[in-house]
Amino acid sequence: MDLLTGPLDSGIDRRALAEIVLLGLLCGPLSFWVRSFRLAYPSESLAHGLLPGLVLAALAGAPLILGAAGGVAVAAAAVALAGRDHRIGSDTATAVVVSGTFGLGVLLALRPDAPARLGELLFGDPLGVSGTDLAAAAALVVAGGVALAALHRPLAAVAFDAGGAGGLGLRPGRVRLALLLVLATAVAVAVQGLGSLLVLAILVAPAAAVGDHVRSPARAMAAGAAVAVGAGVVGLYSSYHLGGAAGASVALALCAAAAGGALVRRFVPPAAPASA
Amino acid sequence: MSAALEVRELAAGYGGDPVLTGVSFAVPAGSSVCVLGPNGGGKTTLFRALAGQLAPAAGDFDITGRPAYVAQAAHARLDFPVSALDVAVMGSLAGRWWLPARGRDRDAARAALERVGLAGSEPTAFGSLSGGQRQRVLIARALVQDATVLLLDEPLAGVDPASAETITALFADLAAEGRTLLVSSHDVEGARAFDAVLCLNREQVAYGDPAAVLDARVLETTYGRELILIPESGGAGGVRAVAVQHHEH
Amino acid sequence: MALDALPDPIYLLELRSTRTAALELLLLAVAGGTLGAFVVLRRLAFYTHAVGTATFPGVVVAEAASFSPRVAALGVALAYAGGVERAGRRGRDPGAEATGLMLVLALAVGTILASDVFSSGAGVDRVLFGSAVALSDADVAVAAAAAVLALVAALVFGRAWAAVAFDPGGAAGLGVPGRWADLALLAIVGACAVAALPAVGALLVTSLFVVPAAIARLVTRSVAGLVAASVGVAAALGLLGLYGSVWLDVPPGPAIAVLGAAVYAVVAGALALGPARTPREAPA
Repeated sequence: MDLLTGPLDSGIDRRALAEIVLLGLLCGPLSFWVRSFRLAYPSESLAHGLLPGLVLAALAGAPLILGAAGGVAVAAAAVALAGRDHRIGSDTATAVVVSGTFGLGVLLALRPDAPARLGELLFGDPLGVSGTDLAAAAALVVAGGVALAALHRPLAAVAFDAGGAGGLGLRPGRVRLALLLVLATAVAVAVQGLGSLLVLAILVAPAAAVGDHVRSPARAMAAGAAVAVGAGVVGLYSSYHLGGAAGASVALALCAAAAGGALVRRFVPPAAPASA
Repeated sequence: MSAALEVRELAAGYGGDPVLTGVSFAVPAGSSVCVLGPNGGGKTTLFRALAGQLAPAAGDFDITGRPAYVAQAAHARLDFPVSALDVAVMGSLAGRWWLPARGRDRDAARAALERVGLAGSEPTAFGSLSGGQRQRVLIARALVQDATVLLLDEPLAGVDPASAETITALFADLAAEGRTLLVSSHDVEGARAFDAVLCLNREQVAYGDPAAVLDARVLETTYGRELILIPESGGAGGVRAVAVQHHEH
Repeated sequence: MALDALPDPIYLLELRSTRTAALELLLLAVAGGTLGAFVVLRRLAFYTHAVGTATFPGVVVAEAASFSPRVAALGVALAYAGGVERAGRRGRDPGAEATGLMLVLALAVGTILASDVFSSGAGVDRVLFGSAVALSDADVAVAAAAAVLALVAALVFGRAWAAVAFDPGGAAGLGVPGRWADLALLAIVGACAVAALPAVGALLVTSLFVVPAAIARLVTRSVAGLVAASVGVAAALGLLGLYGSVWLDVPPGPAIAVLGAAVYAVVAGALALGPARTPREAPA
């Protein structure tokens, strides 16, 4: 019985569990839209690029979520600016911006007199979540969830047929921008638990695990939430019992879920679609 | 009869010089217009400008309500998990996008699907439908939108003849109830059945009654070398035109 | 955060460790600049970052097992290059998603191995970000080999690489051996990235292999000019970055990356604000 209740005994572990569950509830469903709108590379870039904000917050003793939010805003602006040069191409320009901002974060954190714990900022620190952090995360997860609910129909319409969306009364550019804002929020919240280098897992793995043969976006999002929360809990438990780093264990569990989903689909053909 | 669509000296492009210039025409409500022109001649550009996707580089236009833009069906994501009913329901988004679809929205969607002959296909995944069926679903969506103006970009491309007939009959129906249709096409002969024809080749070549407009000179200016002109047999004079079809890349 | 006084460059060159590091970075600049030109032309920036990152767990295991980390890293890099080439040939671009998850996997496995299995935690910074003081003569020799490899490859494949960059469809018709050229580019970039690991670390290979070439691309037009400028910029960034890394007592990888990005921003900004350039073509 200790297997299940062990992590629930200490406050630190309970908060870590709560944090991971919260992240799964937002990022699991969001993962479907990250996949539909092909936002994996921008997510990765935001996650790496926000590092200086995180480090500065850690150095100043401020809540990490503030640093993450500031870092994400600056990174997004820099990537948007850099992507304008057509000779270079937005991929390369993004790589330059990310190298620079990520390097800046590392530089600030590795100065000999800087006490910032770079390892936790890079690989996550769910066990270091305080009550305040948890409350802030909960608030942002709720806000993100409300936004996704409100945006649900526009996102589906634009993902399905951006060209025709104008006739439906939508502006595809604005819908995408709204999604990016939710994404930036999710990245900022999740980076405390998973770290700048691993947070991509919770934004990409759930939809990869669920696959494309779903009946509707709503079902895909629900399945994504289940995968994210499930993998998160499994990861934390294995970290508790086996002693591995918590954030990395969660990331591993998420990757395993994605691989598992892909394997299952390779050997179990999807249900035949209803005939016309 | 008031004009459902009036265009004045419209020019549009994608950032550099406009790829389409000097477009001026007025369409009375309840007419169907066939838009002819070679690939790259500006048909899609015109539709996108009228649909509000492109800001005009010059000129302006008046349009009744918000036009439904049925882009070439190939551009809709076939692997996106929506059923035919889901797509039709999208037509009820306007003005209340943040709220879920109501019962009466679903009813309107069902009625529209029945109207286009797809009543039994409501739960079918959009991607599993045939080309012709997909076009009809998108038209059903336009009906739910209750659009007064419909912009249909090559709706018959790649559609089997039976579906094409159904769709063409649908156009006549829609025009009869007062809606205005702009249908772009490569079928020069089929254009004669429309109320008016608009010929574009990077600029407006001609607009008007097909019988008056579709002569050899206009067709040659519109299509350049893409057109094969076959003289009508039987000594009646006139020219039968066959436009060379290209596949969109 | 008080900054120490700027160290005297002459004094630094008298120190054996900085001399070694400077030489290594100069050689790596030749490799990174030369190959970087083609990385930028072929839009392989993400691949370059990925191949460096992928080596992380391999190096951690090798160091713990007293196996040559260089060989382990090379094995990983070449395997990754082969996998990417195969997937690309089948027309199935692995995609940012699969690549991103693979990188997360590599990093998660590597960090668990380093901190919980092998307790090599202290060395992780060096593996991820490089070191200015722990470079050996063997590292310099490997860097020299990489420089030679990059130059020879550019001479042999350069035209093929550039042709495919400008006209992927037409290059095959010109008789350019597309598939071998592609594989060579991916494999050689991978191998030279491995050579750069001791100096700039697994996470910042792009500081030498992408950023200098991107800066050069802003100001040059011809491929040859791009290669030459890219090497020059890489050398300057490498040496100045090394100086900064010694002064601030941080690893070279981040120092070079920050300096490079700053220079890029200045050059790109100056060009954008300067006299009007030729109008952009309409987007396809």
